[in-house]
Amino acid sequence: MINYNLQIAGYNIRIESDQDGPDLVPEERFHKNIIRSADYDVLIRVHPGHYIIPEEAERLFVAPYIIEVKDMKITSRDNFWSVYRYRSSLFICTNFPADKNKTAVLKFSLLMREWDLWIDGAGNSFDPLEYPLDGLILYYLTVINGDIMIHAAGVNIAGQGFLFSGISGKGKTTIATIFGDSGARIIHDDRLIIRNINSDYYMFNTPVRRDDSPDKSHLHRIFLIEHAQVNKISPLSGAKAVTNVIANCIQHNYSSDMIARFLGSVSILCSAIPVATLQFKPDRSVIDHLLEYV
Amino acid sequence: MADLNSVVSRSPSVVTRKTGNEYVLVPLTDNIADMTSVYTLNETGTFIWELIDGEKNVGDIINALIREYDTDSDTAKEDVLSFISKMKKYLVVK
Repeated sequence: MINYNLQIAGYNIRIESDQDGPDLVPEERFHKNIIRSADYDVLIRVHPGHYIIPEEAERLFVAPYIIEVKDMKITSRDNFWSVYRYRSSLFICTNFPADKNKTAVLKFSLLMREWDLWIDGAGNSFDPLEYPLDGLILYYLTVINGDIMIHAAGVNIAGQGFLFSGISGKGKTTIATIFGDSGARIIHDDRLIIRNINSDYYMFNTPVRRDDSPDKSHLHRIFLIEHAQVNKISPLSGAKAVTNVIANCIQHNYSSDMIARFLGSVSILCSAIPVATLQFKPDRSVIDHLLEYV
Repeated sequence: MADLNSVVSRSPSVVTRKTGNEYVLVPLTDNIADMTSVYTLNETGTFIWELIDGEKNVGDIINALIREYDTDSDTAKEDVLSFISKMKKYLVVK
């Protein structure tokens, strides 16, 4: 393909191959997100080859590459991806875990809707949104729109949208499986994007795995989860709710303005959606406990 | 170490958000948010934080606390100095 549009978490992302550019081959996990559209929220022009960022660019953020093995985090590479700033432009420079010969530079701006992506070492046929570019692009779309990307599982049961948030090992997949086995609709079990649309909060999934289908749900409750011997729900409010929710959010903020906007988004969310901690026994009893509570 | 004549101001390396009667404080390290060191201030902490403006001295803040909470001067002094000590990373004391 030379161009296509993806609808992910309500964002309309248009991908275009540059003139005489690469053949764009989206991975299977994106196939259900492809839509027909002449419009876009962001256009990404894709170029083959290497792009050299300006020498004067300031490095804002460095992410090491971390592998999790049985709840242990192992840093395997010092520089997985980095964010640089030069004047009003931002640059993401990344490697790819699946192909060590491949590198990419995304040149973008939080004020512009047209971005450029160079991918080097991939030949003339590739997926332009290979991990980690997909998550990084979505993350910056949340920043532009005042939305929130969070480590969480989301379920919809009996018309109620529950978000269960926690970092790795807290039980997101476990609780999603328990609800799924009881007939609840699983929005996702790992990462969600929370958006306020026309004064209602929604949680959206994003294509992480091959069998993910685009899905969303109204958001009615947020639970911060951890495993326990007994089920127990403790409401949180005010600053404590905000602090606990932001601890699980994905954020690469690099300026006080960005952090202030992000804090504002989470604060407004926590004033609109009830937040509680949920200690849960990993069995069906948590569903009855939770439905009785709400 | 602050004394009653010290003038205290807020460090620019902290981002704040008021939510209800409380504050969330996010410290910055090299302009990056340090989400592992987020502070929350309760109502009294919020009252003191809002008085810290780079103009009032510690004595002024203690007196304001005594008036607001009808507390004795020793308790108010201990509360304010303890707050300044705990939050010294996010304050500039002159």
